[in-house]
Formats: sequence, structure tokens, C-alpha cells
Amino acid sequence: MRITKPQLSLSRDNRKKMVPYLLIAPVIIYYTIFWLFPVLNAIVESFRDVDGIWTLGNYIYIFKDPVFYTALFDTAFLVIFSVTIEFVLAFGLALLINTKFKGSSIFLFLAMIPMALPAVAVGAMWSSGLATRGWLNSFLMHAGIIDDASKILFLAGGEMSRLWLIIIIDAWTVIPFVMIILLAGLQGIGADVREAGYIFGGTKFQVLRKITIPMLKPTITTAMILRIISAIQIWLIIVMLFGFNRLPTLLEQIVLNYDELGAASFERIGLALSVIVAIIVSATAILYLKVSGSFEKKKEQEVE
Amino acid sequence: MATLELVDLAKRFSKKVWGVRKMDLDVNEKEFIVLLGPSGCGKTTTMRMVAGLEEVTRGTIHLDGKDITDIPPRDRGISMVFQNYAIWPHMTVFDNIAFSLKLKKMPKAEIRQRVQETADMVKIGELLKRLPGQLSGGQQQRVALARALAVKPKLFLMDEPLSNLDAKLRVVMRTELKAIHQQTEATSIFVTHDQSEAMSMADRIVIMKDGEIIQIGTPDDVYFRSANMFVAGFIGTPPTNFFNIRCSVDGEEISLKHSNFKLVLPLKDFSELDAYNGKELVVGVRPEDIAVDSSDKALFTNKVLVVEPQGSHQVVALKLNDAIVKTIVSADQSVKPGDSIGFNFNLKRLHFFNMETENRIKTASEI
Amino acid sequence: MNSALQRQLRRSAKRTSLYIVLVGILFIIIFPIFFLFSFSFMSDYETYSEWPKPLVPSFKADFKIDKDTEGYHLYIFNKSENDFMPFGPLFFSNSEKDVSNLRKFIKLQANSKITDQKIEEYLRIVDKESKVEFSVRKDLLANYILFFQVINGAARAVLNSLMVAGATVVIALTIGGMGGYAFARYFFKGKNLLKLSVLFVRMFPAVSLAIPMVIILARMGLYDRPLGLSLVYSVGQISMSIWITASVFMSIPISLEEAAMIFGTTRVGAFWHVTLPLALPGLAACAMYSFIGSWNEVIAAVVLTQFNPTFPVVVYKALVGSQGQINLITAGSVAQAVPAIIFTLIIRKYIIQMWGGVKV
Ligand SMILES: Nc1ncnc2c1ncn2[C@@H]1O[C@H](COP(=O)(O)OP(=O)(O)OP(=O)(O)O)[C@@H](O)[C@H]1O
Ligand SMILES: [Mg+2]
Repeated sequence: MRITKPQLSLSRDNRKKMVPYLLIAPVIIYYTIFWLFPVLNAIVESFRDVDGIWTLGNYIYIFKDPVFYTALFDTAFLVIFSVTIEFVLAFGLALLINTKFKGSSIFLFLAMIPMALPAVAVGAMWSSGLATRGWLNSFLMHAGIIDDASKILFLAGGEMSRLWLIIIIDAWTVIPFVMIILLAGLQGIGADVREAGYIFGGTKFQVLRKITIPMLKPTITTAMILRIISAIQIWLIIVMLFGFNRLPTLLEQIVLNYDELGAASFERIGLALSVIVAIIVSATAILYLKVSGSFEKKKEQEVE
Repeated sequence: MATLELVDLAKRFSKKVWGVRKMDLDVNEKEFIVLLGPSGCGKTTTMRMVAGLEEVTRGTIHLDGKDITDIPPRDRGISMVFQNYAIWPHMTVFDNIAFSLKLKKMPKAEIRQRVQETADMVKIGELLKRLPGQLSGGQQQRVALARALAVKPKLFLMDEPLSNLDAKLRVVMRTELKAIHQQTEATSIFVTHDQSEAMSMADRIVIMKDGEIIQIGTPDDVYFRSANMFVAGFIGTPPTNFFNIRCSVDGEEISLKHSNFKLVLPLKDFSELDAYNGKELVVGVRPEDIAVDSSDKALFTNKVLVVEPQGSHQVVALKLNDAIVKTIVSADQSVKPGDSIGFNFNLKRLHFFNMETENRIKTASEI
Repeated sequence: MNSALQRQLRRSAKRTSLYIVLVGILFIIIFPIFFLFSFSFMSDYETYSEWPKPLVPSFKADFKIDKDTEGYHLYIFNKSENDFMPFGPLFFSNSEKDVSNLRKFIKLQANSKITDQKIEEYLRIVDKESKVEFSVRKDLLANYILFFQVINGAARAVLNSLMVAGATVVIALTIGGMGGYAFARYFFKGKNLLKLSVLFVRMFPAVSLAIPMVIILARMGLYDRPLGLSLVYSVGQISMSIWITASVFMSIPISLEEAAMIFGTTRVGAFWHVTLPLALPGLAACAMYSFIGSWNEVIAAVVLTQFNPTFPVVVYKALVGSQGQINLITAGSVAQAVPAIIFTLIIRKYIIQMWGGVKV
């Protein structure tokens, strides 16, 4: 009796411990087949040429190509400015909606619409708007702000103006998504800790800086990481507005090599470029986590 | 140490919902005021208006004679203990307590000293380096208390600070709070819906109902001289028993007729009842004022319905007509359900209420 | 009294400025969307011959016909010129052929439907009175109908998109939901890794997986088939579903399940009878969320489809390849956007809850 009882409970225990692994087994199998396998395949193929011979040629081609460096610069510029601007505005918006004014739920829905719009609809919307004879110039003329002679050539500007145009459009599209994540985090905090901040001498700004933001840190990290990852991979709106090769970004170059240039050798260059992008994305994400101190937080929690 | 004056204070949340309808209250220096009332009566709303967390709809708040109705919470010189503590989980205990001192740009050494002092006062001097997540409920409660005390406020607000603690710790903290109050002498307002807490801690109790003050008075006032049937029925466990009676004056005597008994009282002690000659009124009798009387002088005899032993005493419930009457009987008396027992009232402790207005009818016999 | 008045003033000033800010924000959000919708209802003439372009589509078109020695002349009212402008053929006769060509032209360029008889009637009036002005109601949905007529395979593509999105929802919700439940209720090795999977799968560009995926799908016989595409979409949607469903399950106290187990059900029974019904709204919201995700996706679909494109691909190709007029393309975009917007409206109550639970 004394011997069998622990044994029985042990096997019971083991069976119980199996449950979560059984539950996540499909995820793991799925990712192995449909993610890990193609990723490994892509990495391997990026080191081979069309005839299957091992080579660094694809990478050398990229690093010799001046467009790559333009793409690198443009992408970095877009990421830094769009993520920063989006975060600040989304946070402001989230704080505003969190005050729960009358009609805030309707406002929330309307603010969410850009998030629901398909990428192509966003493209159609802005390309019809920013064309020289688009709705934006029409609107400005109806409003009497400009006349026919002073039409604004939105899409014909230099590199910088094109970059800023993309940043603004991306902000318009993505802010709702960032806002939703931040708002969910804010609602998890509860009003009383902030009220305590006011009672114990804090101004609005001090409470925001010393209480709200530190408590929101995990959420902020989540939002930022997700945003950084997808901001590095921006291309579609650029191609829809300007076409290929007018404002090169890393992903735009990948798609260009894959889909537009056609020949099999370009595909491999695209693959090599993808590997480079993946490395850049992971490095940036890890760098962000390091700088924001999320790793230290983790350790602290483990100590508890 | 400060005085607080609430004049015609009201808070309306929406067309239909009033948080507070009308509050007039003067709090004296060093006084410990307890707000007591059923759930939703506006206690929290009152506190939040005094704290400055809720804009007032009408009325004014004066602290030490200064109008603070429209100034932000941080400039009011108050501090507060929240019901669920609201201590900041990302700061250590030290940082929690030091928060307001740092914002006031107090020198570092002084902050350290003040924090240690207050932490010792509430017995968490050893926990200063911990994060709130690593503390028990009672310890968190003390952190909230220390944080509020460190400010040395003029006015100390506590919204049900003990309600999340277990029964035993609650009684301990009650005593400690009282001791701290005697030491700091800060004017305090304390919200609770636990009446034994209110009775044991308060200098004066403010009883509220539906956003209005029903009675302000010392614990004795509200217990022995309840202003109306609501207070009499709200204060005391078990609450006051009410009997509908018909009053008739008979020469020097006044007789009160109930379907089960008839009380005869000398008119000279109860002359205020003269006006109710021939009318109905309500007599309230507290459970401890109904005593077992096995002699033939018993006012009425009735069957016992339920007996609830409480250790020091037992609560005996009877069914008188359709109403349940509860009495308190000493523990050594043997009472069993079904027993037929005689009872008598303590005639010095009768409470009379007008049947329509439900207000107290004052009598000369009041203690 | 004075202070009460001040308070009221201050409060209403505060409220007014809040609402001014809100209206400003809403304006920025709605402004471009408004034009997307507005353009989709405009005729070719409105979009291309009026300048500045009208801000709102008109509900009718105004015409004038007059006559000289050459024959009849047709004019259309141009709002930006505030006058009738020549429209269509230089001149035409009242022959049956000319009239029916005119009808087609009016329908195509002005989105207005008029019958041959009606035109002939007007011509007779011109004969008598030398000119006639008339207006014809505009067919507001003309662009939408035309989009599906002129863009090859657009209708088919909608069906493909529906199938892809449907299959993705099923795959993502079953696999991701199981993972999310495990995440919310159990401790296990690699829990953190699972949480971060949503990041990992995004680190390698989705487009870049397409080429190897083409080979894998071809081997499975699923290349250029809706199910094949949904297998690719599911990679991203599963990890999203894990996050969202974990959030949803976390918001349901485990004590409810325990209570059910005490009252005699098994763990599985407790899940079926207690947790699942409570989680259903959240799960439905999650399903719609991944539906929107795959309904809108275009990047992988461009690479992974050939003869069976999805709807976004069709619109994308029409836009990038300049296959259609801008009013047609906006119509296609709106047709694609409306279901996504409606779903968002439905799930808006849950969207906060969906994002509340899990953090990196
Ligand atoms: N923010 C609010 N919006 C609308 N109504 C509110 C709000 N806060 C409180 N109320 C309403 O005001 C009334 C008073 O609430 P209050 O919180 O002051 O009660 P309370 O006495 O503290 O109750 P409890 O003992 O349950 O804490 C209640 O009817 C409540 O529903
Ligand atoms: Mg309360």
C-alpha cells in the first residue's frame, strides 16, 4: 500500500504533466512544417546558385549593389521616425479614450477603422488622393486654399518628401493598432493607483511619468516590438504609391527580385536579402529589449 | 489637525443617479469621524469629493477655513488610504512611502528618516526594500497606511481600509489605527459599513442613507438616541425590534397596547406621548433590553423559535404574530427551541417613533 | 454661487476643448476614407473631366441636346465649369444606331441609364424647340457592377478569398486555441518560447517564405489552391490566436472550471460546459480578427497564386498595373473593405479584452 500509492500518484502526475504538451503539439508540428522547414530551406538556398553549387555570390551581389544601401537607409529612416511618431500619437489617443468621455466607444470604433482597411484599399485611397489631380488637391481647391496653378505635386517630391509621405500614411494606418494594445494595457492598470498618485502630490505629468508609464512597460514593449518588426518590413504602400525602385526599402527589393525580375537567379538574391532582413529584424528586436531593460525585469521576476 | 466643513455638498453623476444629495458636516480638530451607511449611500463619493478626485456638483468644502472645493488633490493637504490599497506595484515599499516626500523635494536624509519613522509606526520597518507583490494583504495594508501617514496630512481619509483583511487582523488593525490617531492627532474621516468598527473607533458617527445624512452623533447618540427607525434598525446586532402599538392616556397613566401585550407607563415620565393619545406609534426595543422573566410579572410569554449561541451570550428569536423578535440572553440561561418563556422590557430603554415620519419621539426618560 | 458658476464655466470649457480635439482626430481619420467611398460612386466623367474633382458624387447627370446643320449635339453639365460642356460624339443623327451608341456612351461615361425611346423622345422635342435639357438619375452602384464585369476573375476571386479566410479561421482557431488554453491554464517548459513565437514567425519576411512554400505546397498538391494559401496565412494567424485566446481564457477564472469539476464533471467536461460557453464571444471575436487578417492579406497571395488569385490580389493588380480607372479601383477597394469594417464593428467590444492578457 505504502509503495503503490506514491507510484500511482506519480503516473497520474505524469499524465497530467503531459496535457499542456499535447495541447501545444499541433502548434509545434505546424510551425515545423510550415515555418521552420521553409525558413531553413530559404537559408540553404540563399547560399547556392541556380545550379545548386554552394556560393556566397548572392550575398556579394547584394553588398556590391548601391541600391541595397539606399534601401537600408530608407528602411532605417522609416522605422525610426514612423515607430516613434506612431507610439507618441497612439499613446496620447489611448490616454484620451481611457478617460471614458461620453461617446468614447463610438469614437473607439471610428478610430479603429484604419486598422480594418485592407492594405490595397489604403493604397487605392492614397494614390487617388495624392495624385496631382487627386482628391486632396481637389479638396484644397474647393476650400480655396490653392488654385489650379499651385497644385501640390505630392508624389513627385525628392527622396525625403517621399519618405515623410510614407511615414504619415503609415502612421495613419497603424496608429489604431498600437492604440488598441496600449489601451488594453491602460485598462488593466485601474484608476486607483493613478488617483493615489494625485493624492500624494503628483501633477498629471508626474503621475504619467512615474506611475502610468512604468506600470505600462510590458504593454509598451509588446507594442513597440510588434511595430518595429513590421515597420522594417514595409513595402506594399510604397509600391502602390510610387511603383518599384522609386523609394527602395529592404522588403521592396525582395519583392522586386522575386516577383518582378522573374529570372531564377534573382530569386536567390531575394532569398539572401531575406536572410539579411531576418537578421536585421531579430537584432533590432533584441537590441530594443536590451535597451528597454525587459531582460532585467524577467530576471527579477524569476528571483521572486 | 484641522477643521473640515462641508456645506450643501452634492454630487450628481447623471440625470437619475445622485452620488450624494446633500451633505452638511462640520468636523472638529483632531476628531475621528466615521461615515457609516448601507452600500451605495454615497460614502465613497463623499470621500472622493473631499479628496478632490471627484468634481462637486454643488456646495463647498472648507479645510481649516480655506475653500478647497476647486483646487487639485495635491494642494489640499490631505492623504488617503484606498479600499484596495492602490499601492504602486512597480515601486519598493520605501519608494511607495517616499513618493510624496520626493515630489515635495524634501532632502534625501530627511526622507529616509521620515520613511523609517512611519514604517516603524505601522511595523513594516523591515520590509522597506520589498516590492508590494511580495507582501501579504495585511502588510500591503500597512504600506498604504504608512504612505498616507508619511505626508503628515491635515486631514486623513480612509475608505474602508480594513475591509479586505481577515476578521482577526481587522480587530488588531482597528486598535492600532486608533492608537496611531491618538499619537498623530490628525483629523480623520473613516468609511466603513461595519458598525462595530464604527462604534469602537469614532468620536462621532455620520450615518448616511441614499446620499443624505440621517444622523450625526457620538456612538452613544446613535445607539441610545437613534434619530429615526432607519438608524435604530441599522445600528446594533441584532437590530432594534419594532412593535406597532396603540397609545391611550388614562389619567396619570399611559397605556400602550400591542396585540400580544400591554405596557402601562407613568405619564409624568412620558408626557411627550400625550399628543399621541388614541393614535398608533412604534416602540423600539433593543434585543438586550428584552429580558427573560419567569415570574408572573412577565409582559408576555412566547414560544422560542431559534437559539443562536454566541459564546458570551445567546440570541433568542421568537415569532410574535408574524414578526420575528430577537432578544439577547445570557449564556448560562438554558433556553431551547420550543420552550415557552416569559419576557419583560427594560422600561428605561424604550424608543418611540412616529409611525408616519419614522422619526424619534423624544421623552424625558431618555438617558 | 459665483464659484459654482465658475466651476460650470470651467467644466464646459474643458469639455468643449476635449470635443474639439476629438472632432479634429475624427476628421483626420474619416477624411481620406470618405473620399475612398465618394470616388467609388463617381462616374468616369466626374472623375476625369471635372477639375477640381467633386467632393461628393452627384445623384444625377444633367444633359442638354441641341441641333444645327451637322446634326444633334450632346452636352453634359460640368460642375467645376458650371456650364454645359460637349459630351460624346461631335454630332449624331436620330438613326437607331446613333441613338443606341449614345445610350451606351451615357451609361459608360456618366453611369446613367436612359432608354433609346427616351432619347428619341428628347430628339423630337429638340426638333420642335431647337434644344432640350434633361437630367438622368445616376446608377450609384455602376462602378461596383462594372468592376466585377471588366476585371477578369474578380467574382471568382471573392469566392477564393472567402474560402481562404474560412479555412484560415478554422485552422488558426483550433490549433491556436489549444495553444492559448494551454498557455492560460498550465505551466510547461517552453511557455515563454510559445509566447514569443508570435514574434519569431514575423522575423522572417512572409514574402520570403513564399518560394520554399511554393515547392512544399506543390508537393502537397495545394499550390495555387485556396487551402494552400490558408496554410501559409495560418502561420501568422496561429500565433496571433494563441495570444488572443490566451487572453480570453485568462479572463475566465479557473475557479469556475474547478467548481464544475467538484460538481461531477471531468476537466474536459468542465471545459465544454463552462469555459467554452463563457469564452465563446471572445473566441468569435478572435475568429473574426483572423478572418479580417486573411481577407485583407495581399503580400503572400501575390506570390502564391497564379490562376486563382484572391480578391485583394485582383484589386492590387488593377491598381499597380493601372488596369482600371481610379473610380473602378476604389469601388473594388470599398467592396473589399466593407466586410472588414463590419466585422470590426461587431468585435469592437471584445478587442480590448483580446489584447489585455499577454505581454512580451
Ligand atoms: N462614477 C460613477 N458614475 C455613476 N454613478 C456612480 C459612480 N460612482 C458611484 N455612483 C453611484 O453613486 C452612488 C453612491 O456610490 P458610493 O460609491 O459613494 O457608495 P458607497 O456608500 O461608497 O457604497 P459601498 O459601501 O458599497 O462602497 C451609488 O448609487 C453608485 O451607483
Ligand atoms: Mg464605497
